Amino acid sequence: MSKLWMLVMTSTGQTLSMVFFSTLFSLLMGLPLGILLSITSGVEQGGIIPKPLLNNILGRIVNVLRSFPFIILMILLFPLSRILIGTSIGTAATIVPLSIAAAPFVARVIETALKEVDPGVVQAARAMGSTNWQIIRKVLIPEALPSLVSGVTLTIINLIGYSAMAGAIGGGGLGDLAIRYGYQRFRGDVMVVAVIIILVLVEIIQVIGNKISSHLLAKR
Amino acid sequence: MEGIFMQITLDNLQRSYGNLHAVHGVSLSIPSNTIYGIIGKSGAGKSTLVRLISLLESPDSGEVYFDDVRVDNLTKRAMIERRRRVGMIFQNFNLFSSRNAEENIAYPMEINGIDKDAIKVRVDELLKLVGLEGRGKAPISTLSGGQMQRVAIARALACNPDILFCDEATSALDPQTTHSILSLLKEIQKKMSLTVVMITHQMEVVRDACDQVAVLNDGKVVEQGFVTDIFANPSSEVTKEFLAHLVGVDGSASSDDKMVQWSKKTGTYTLRFRGDTTDQPILSRITRDLGVEFNIRAGGVQKVGDVEIGTMIVDISGDEAIKKKAIDALKKQGVLVEEEGKA
Repeated sequence: MSKLWMLVMTSTGQTLSMVFFSTLFSLLMGLPLGILLSITSGVEQGGIIPKPLLNNILGRIVNVLRSFPFIILMILLFPLSRILIGTSIGTAATIVPLSIAAAPFVARVIETALKEVDPGVVQAARAMGSTNWQIIRKVLIPEALPSLVSGVTLTIINLIGYSAMAGAIGGGGLGDLAIRYGYQRFRGDVMVVAVIIILVLVEIIQVIGNKISSHLLAKR
Repeated sequence: MEGIFMQITLDNLQRSYGNLHAVHGVSLSIPSNTIYGIIGKSGAGKSTLVRLISLLESPDSGEVYFDDVRVDNLTKRAMIERRRRVGMIFQNFNLFSSRNAEENIAYPMEINGIDKDAIKVRVDELLKLVGLEGRGKAPISTLSGGQMQRVAIARALACNPDILFCDEATSALDPQTTHSILSLLKEIQKKMSLTVVMITHQMEVVRDACDQVAVLNDGKVVEQGFVTDIFANPSSEVTKEFLAHLVGVDGSASSDDKMVQWSKKTGTYTLRFRGDTTDQPILSRITRDLGVEFNIRAGGVQKVGDVEIGTMIVDISGDEAIKKKAIDALKKQGVLVEEEGKA
């Protein structure tokens, strides 16, 4: 029993580190991409530097990546993991496909949040002589912050789900535990514990995200 | 930097969107150190014109000058620098909801690289100027419409602009608040010797705040001049419509501006008296001299700036020859006569 308990702890730790790092890396990739998607869109959509061709190409790449089934994407990205991490198996190796799968999702979430910013406010900022960079940094991002926080919350929750799936192909973590012990070795109790921990994690992230978002809104 | 006079000249501005000629050959000379109104109905091209002269958009052809400097073809960097010396306020205030009142006012100074201590001093000065002392920490959502516009005015003035554009600045406000915002703008104009350009669809705003006005219709200037002249002697149909709306002939103006209406029937002739003529018994003199009778349907006097303008809607009884004589006599006295159905 204590050995199994250790296993649960280790798996939880693996899940947390997978989710943490893939959130970090997907934000690093998705945030600039989302900003780019938003500012290069047409004027009627609030784009501050309309670049229709670039916007179109980026949009298509994002759509293709988003519509890829995650399991297939993972298998396709095994070689990349091997190059970056040195192996295609294990928690660290899984972070690569997780980040790449989540990045286009993050980009869309950020794009949507930024497009919600009142175009009148952006016009005012421009009329006052803001540079594009000042508009992004001092207007768009602060104005969209509550929606951005909600978007990041959603991303983390999605990544918890994805990381459980990644476990099935050698990534470790709670998903791996549930499949190997719970399913393949008929340990219903392990399965239940793994699932409950995942549910609790999702709930905690959601509550924290909502708290931050509503705190930001309450100050306005 | 305060006290710089800035004159705006527009030379044959054109801007179209697809087939729509939003601004179609507008030439205007907006004198410095005044409040200049640009009035037009929705779709007349006001918003486009304001984006052109506030340098938010470039014209298809034509030129914009601030004093003697052409500003419509500046380089990107020079354009940004120029915009920093132009203040602008909007119908929907367009304040940053992520910033409180004083942070909003600080924004233009922040992007200009002014240091924090100097910003703090200036913000307090501006809050005082717009009558919001002590409300600096207030979140924007807790302010009333009038207070929001005051914050917007403070923000627009932060970097000592030489021009202030007001784009329908009072259209979202109730009459009382409109009045207080207009008084504030007038006071600030005098204090800072600003060139203020007010774009509006409200003739009340032109009457209460502007020195000169241009009337815009279908992307063209149909009439321009001193507000008092235009109120007394409107030459275009659009202007007459605006004035009719204002004096309440169509029953839509606010109660302050409404004419006293004696008869449900509207009369054939609209008479406009201005300034000193409002004091004189012109009608009774003509009645006595010519033996013609006026049936007064409606009438009222309103203040335009410092000048009073009287409007009267009458029928004239008698045969055509006498009517004509009466009208000529009226015109001789400086009264403007418009016959219904005739421009």
